Amino acid sequence: MSVNPLSALPASAASAVRTEKNERFDRWWIMVAAVAVLVILLIFLKPDPYKNLFNFVRDGVWRTTYITIISFVLVIVFGLFVGLARLSKHKVIRGIATVYVEIIRGIPMMVQIIYWAFALPAIIQEMGSAWNIPSFMEYRPDGIVMAIFGLTFGYSAYMSEVYRAGIQSISKGQMEAARSLGMTYVQAMRYIIVPQAVRVILPPMGNELITLLKDTALVSAVAIPELTRRGREFSSANFNPIETWTMVALLYLVMTLLATRLVAYLEKKARYER
Amino acid sequence: MEPIIKIQGVHKYFGTLEALKGVNLEVQKGEVVVIIGPSGSGKSTMLRCINRLEEFDEGSIIVDGIPLDTAENINAVRTEVGMVFQQFNLFPHLSVLENVLLAQQIVRKRDRAEAEKVGMALLNKVGIPEKAKYFPGQLSGGQQQRVAIARALAMNPKIMLFDEPTSALDPEMIQEVLDVMVALAREGMTMVVVSHEMGFARACAHRAILMDAGQIIEEAPPDVLFSHPTHERTKAFLSKVLH
Repeated sequence: MSVNPLSALPASAASAVRTEKNERFDRWWIMVAAVAVLVILLIFLKPDPYKNLFNFVRDGVWRTTYITIISFVLVIVFGLFVGLARLSKHKVIRGIATVYVEIIRGIPMMVQIIYWAFALPAIIQEMGSAWNIPSFMEYRPDGIVMAIFGLTFGYSAYMSEVYRAGIQSISKGQMEAARSLGMTYVQAMRYIIVPQAVRVILPPMGNELITLLKDTALVSAVAIPELTRRGREFSSANFNPIETWTMVALLYLVMTLLATRLVAYLEKKARYER
Repeated sequence: MEPIIKIQGVHKYFGTLEALKGVNLEVQKGEVVVIIGPSGSGKSTMLRCINRLEEFDEGSIIVDGIPLDTAENINAVRTEVGMVFQQFNLFPHLSVLENVLLAQQIVRKRDRAEAEKVGMALLNKVGIPEKAKYFPGQLSGGQQQRVAIARALAMNPKIMLFDEPTSALDPEMIQEVLDVMVALAREGMTMVVVSHEMGFARACAHRAILMDAGQIIEEAPPDVLFSHPTHERTKAFLSKVLH
């Protein structure tokens, strides 16, 4: 046997592992490009009002983007814990997770966001006056932070169901094989079940990302100057609803289409031979 | 000599169904035991109790001096007991080599180089070192089952359990898996095999056991059990599988 047994392997074995790698250029990119070009054309061919409009809502695009990204990262982590809790053997843990999911699913996202932004700070202030805690009485949370909390808390419930379905779709034999090799439950989850479940989960997870991105428009209701809010401000100041909302719609479309492509890319990367 | 597996009065219920009705079995170190019996007789359930993949409701099982009671003991037993499944249960997201390395690294805490040495040696032993970089889905059933055996052996188990290892295979692939099992038996591995492969039983097994309705009905050396069964249920079962 040579020192490194792997070097003895034929090179063809490695290249046979992934066969579809050199697929044709993804045609959906044309759609992304078309919408982006349309936006750019509008800005250059008709600077009044499109260029002014674009400059006005640009910070809204940025805010929408980072609210989406931060919320989604939190949703991915928190949703996993809730999903695992719903599969737990312990009745109490499972019960808490189930109640949480049922409550969240029964309340409109808009109401949840308003609750986090206005009701929750008010509750804390009341508690402050009742028990005489000055820091509670003057509690004024940052609007964007509360908006992110609201979105995270709401979307984690939906994401936990995505995780749960994905984990349950992996055959019981996988867990048994892992445990029979002496892996702990946590190791089996970490190395065997979750990596496989992720591949099943990616498409519905992508849906959640797109829906979340669009639902960030809801936080305009609590005065966060994201894209929709900035659009409304511009439109009411300049009385040009057609141009404003066309631009806003196109900008959302660019973002959602990009997100779709990102998910499709990840799905392709995660694929393996069955 | 103290038996390496000691099953005493084990009962197992699936709801109201009593799957095991007080099973007693002792297996000596280096012994090869083949268990046969009609489907639903509890033979797989009993096998799965030995590494506690199946919980039992009464009785005790002691493996290599360790009783199957606490979570720690159960994990300790599992690292010493390899298992091969009917459906292979290879990890489809990992290459063949990674399948063989993973548990060595995270359970046995071997470093990568050492684990690779052990893994490649075992893939050589089961006859498919050239498939190391492939994914399980690219292999035939027989090849997958041989990888599954290598994966279990990589943990240096003292006991190997086989749960109908050839039942899901196409006929022409059964022999390549049996060859690996025969070689293992010749090396003195302690093996408990649920299988109806009479050829394997005759060639390697020290003892054959017939189970029916959650009980051990009869046990004898395979030649004796297959040729001169004493119990009616053994005769009835053998008349259906031997032809």
